[in-house]
Amino acid sequence: MTMVDKDIEDSILETHFAAARCANTDLPAGLEARMLADADRVQAESLRVGEGALAGAGRWRQLLALLGGWPAMGGLATACAAGVWIGVSPPDFLPDPVGLMAEQNSSVNLLDSYALSSVLPEDG
Amino acid sequence: MARAGIISGPPGARGVTAAPSGGEDAELSDDALVALFANGDERAARVLTARLGPKAYSVALRVLGNRAEAEDAAQEAMLRLWRMAPDWRPGEAQVSTWLYRVVMNLCLDRKRHGKRAGAVPLDAVPDPADPGPGAAERMQDGARTDALQAALLTLPERQRQAVVLRHIEELSNPEIAGIMEISVEAVESLTARGKRTLAAALAGRQEELGYDNG
Repeated sequence: MTMVDKDIEDSILETHFAAARCANTDLPAGLEARMLADADRVQAESLRVGEGALAGAGRWRQLLALLGGWPAMGGLATACAAGVWIGVSPPDFLPDPVGLMAEQNSSVNLLDSYALSSVLPEDG
Repeated sequence: MARAGIISGPPGARGVTAAPSGGEDAELSDDALVALFANGDERAARVLTARLGPKAYSVALRVLGNRAEAEDAAQEAMLRLWRMAPDWRPGEAQVSTWLYRVVMNLCLDRKRHGKRAGAVPLDAVPDPADPGPGAAERMQDGARTDALQAALLTLPERQRQAVVLRHIEELSNPEIAGIMEISVEAVESLTARGKRTLAAALAGRQEELGYDNG
């Protein structure tokens, strides 16, 4: 193919492309309505989900307010952490709970060598 | 028909919760409209449909060559746009590029699964009669469009997509590369081969389509 042939070929193709670009490709009315109906449906679903999430968040906020707000939550968290720490590493003046758990129960019968009659006074 | 894609407000708005009304008519970006839609603005859906719907339908029509299939593909693509709206990250990609990619993938899927029963081919739907001035030229344009469409449908799928995006939708090669997820060189190769095949297919119809030989 010569350069002239190529130019003619390109020119003819471009005429076809231009005709295709000008062709009426507006949305068919029914299609536009279906697209908008889809949009309405998806938007409504999305907003419902959003409202549900907000309602859930509202319940958490109510619980928080009941406990006394964020300062109270901070105190509660600190108290929990302190309790756990004391349990793991107790101060010297407190018994070691791990040691207490390891102790075995034992009993000593202090009265074994005494007859009860020698301890209790006899009447008359 | 919905109002053309004009809504007042600054272009490229971010985090907007309601479309401004009245006053200056400045076009909102697609990003801003998607954000508005996600925030419940109903007008955003109308503007996006008016702006992007015809693109989706047009490209699907050219690639599939069938109005019913093209309508289904365009509707499905727009539905995915509505669903994706809350998760859209402005500035990362163009909404139109994303939409074109969805349409192209839907077209590929439809081709893989075969034609739908009862679908109406593009050529089978007559264009409305137009007795006004320039009708002869329009008829000739219609014949050329039909001839091009018939030739397009002989191309392999990816060549057809590349040619339609490049020469009918007039997108740049880098944009097409992004849509088709291939390199720019591959786009150039696909369009070049596609045009050669189209030229050969149309060569025998020059006289019929009103071209002077030579």
